[in-house]
Amino acid sequence: MYDTTRTESAVSQQDIKISARNVQVYYGDKHALKDVNVDIQDKTVTAFIGPSGCGKSTFLRCINRMNDTIDIASVKGEIRLDGEDIYDRRVDPVQLRAKVGMVFQKPNPFPKSIYDNVAYGPRIHGLSRNKAELDEIVEKSLRGAALWNEVKDRLAEPGTGLSGGQQQRLCIARAVATAPEVLLMDEPCSALDPIATGQVEELIDQLREQFSVVIVTHSMQQAARVSQKTAFFHLGNLVEYGATDDIFTKPQDSRTEAYISGRIG
Amino acid sequence: MPLSWALLASLALAAAGYMVGRSRAFASAGADSRTLHSRPTYHGMSVALLALIPALVIMVLGALARMTGLLSAEAGGVVGLLALGAAVIGLGIGVSRINAGFMARNAVEKIVLGFLIFCSTIAIATTLGIILSLVFETGNFFSQYDWRAFFFGTEFVPRFEGNSRLGVLPLLWGTLYISFIALLVAVPIGLFGAIYLSEYAGPRTRSLAKPVIEVLAGIPTIVYGLFALVTVGPMLRDAIAQPLGLGSSASSVMTAGLVMGIMLIPFVSSLSDDIINAVPQSLRDGALGLGSTPSETIKQVVLPAALPGIVGAVLLAASRAIGETMIVVLGAGAAATLSLNPFEAMTTITVKIVSQLTGDNDFSSPETLVAFALGLTLFVITLCLNIVALIIVRKYREQYE
Repeated sequence: MYDTTRTESAVSQQDIKISARNVQVYYGDKHALKDVNVDIQDKTVTAFIGPSGCGKSTFLRCINRMNDTIDIASVKGEIRLDGEDIYDRRVDPVQLRAKVGMVFQKPNPFPKSIYDNVAYGPRIHGLSRNKAELDEIVEKSLRGAALWNEVKDRLAEPGTGLSGGQQQRLCIARAVATAPEVLLMDEPCSALDPIATGQVEELIDQLREQFSVVIVTHSMQQAARVSQKTAFFHLGNLVEYGATDDIFTKPQDSRTEAYISGRIG
Repeated sequence: MPLSWALLASLALAAAGYMVGRSRAFASAGADSRTLHSRPTYHGMSVALLALIPALVIMVLGALARMTGLLSAEAGGVVGLLALGAAVIGLGIGVSRINAGFMARNAVEKIVLGFLIFCSTIAIATTLGIILSLVFETGNFFSQYDWRAFFFGTEFVPRFEGNSRLGVLPLLWGTLYISFIALLVAVPIGLFGAIYLSEYAGPRTRSLAKPVIEVLAGIPTIVYGLFALVTVGPMLRDAIAQPLGLGSSASSVMTAGLVMGIMLIPFVSSLSDDIINAVPQSLRDGALGLGSTPSETIKQVVLPAALPGIVGAVLLAASRAIGETMIVVLGAGAAATLSLNPFEAMTTITVKIVSQLTGDNDFSSPETLVAFALGLTLFVITLCLNIVALIIVRKYREQYE
């Protein structure tokens, strides 16, 4: 899977990976997301910023249909992944989520060993034919998450025994091991200290070579550091979307300007 | 003065003391009530407690003395007066102590703490008392009956004219066999029911099904026993035991085990349901976010995370099964047999304890005293199970807090 994505990257550096049109999300009666249109590029880090409750996490969860697990949530509109409507009745959310991985706000390692945590995805999706291949995927993913050197001697120990920053990198390794095409990250650094945050940010930059990364963050500095594209959400609307440099230096909308200069949010 | 009147009077004094203490505290504070060390309610409480506690202690001691015959019934009036006097003196001391600097809150909190410790001590002390009474009588039993014959005897034939054989093995076997069948019924059904309720059922189904299952837990076990006696027993005999030539008795291990299993279903399912629900949603999200199906999520992430708790629930159910009596009497009979045939009548330790102690026997023959040895054996078995269950449950808790 790694090989195929790499050949693609040479051909289509700026392809549109995900395109959303008129996306509406309702939680019961609450209109949480209004008319969102956005095109997310392949091999790019896209940051979603905005004040709490603005709908950025909600939109992120639409991209891999995690909102399906919430009974009262309903999604309208159209989201296409590589041109294919992911809310089409024939699309199985399980297969979709194998392609669109997700890392959550709080590190959530499974109550298994470090090795089994990373091997979980490859095992359920049958990505390896034998133990040697699986070992290779696990090592590659842990190296990718900058965790290999810290855990290589204790792969059999429980993942829950790691520190917070290590747990979050373990969760990233776990997501990377399933060889996704898109990686969604919902405030992945909010529970981490500055050093661990730095490591994760470095990692995000490397991951961009393999697939497109969408990150929700509360920290504008983080958005500026890691992303090439930034989308600003406010009260359920996508207010402004563009190159990160443009959003932070010459925002078009007065609300964006107010937010990045710290006057709202 | 009768004790009940003295009690009422001291309560009234305490209530009055509370009011007086509170207003005195307000008065001593002057214009600014923040100069008080403790809030006025604490001052009131300290006066009330000082009036009530000595009176209560005197009354309890008096009542005990009367029960043991140290005091005559007529002395009750004196005790009542003494108690009332103590209440009045306590009230006086309490009120005179009040000033802005008096640390009433610390005093009251110390008393409340003492009360809490007293209550928890009672629970432990009664357990100790029960064990001691069992141990004492068991000692009596073993002084009259050889312990090897008790623990390794394969027959339980009490004869009140003497020369009984009182081996525990057939009873132990019956207990474990019936409990095993009960768990074989209750654990899978209860657990799968819990998985459905917590992971698949919608909120409406859940709000309907959970109480219905829990109604089963409210049925008295004697009713289950009747169900075993008139329905399940004859049905099993006519449908399975007799056609297969396994026996012709309606009372059987199978009957009691099945019905006991039904009794335990709500126990297992509601405990497991709580435990499965306690698995953090973030773990489910993590697994689903990696593209696992709901069933893979449950099998590989949710259940392993909940497993220690579920094992704890099963062990608790097991100790209930081992202690169950009524269903066994009506479902499995009272014959102590050592057999593998599940359609034969058997009996358990608890049933034999009841049958050895009922009727008019003297409390010195081994036939009666064996009940205490049986009780102690049962107590040790369930205690071990509960300890194992507690250890496992505690280990589970450590993981997510």
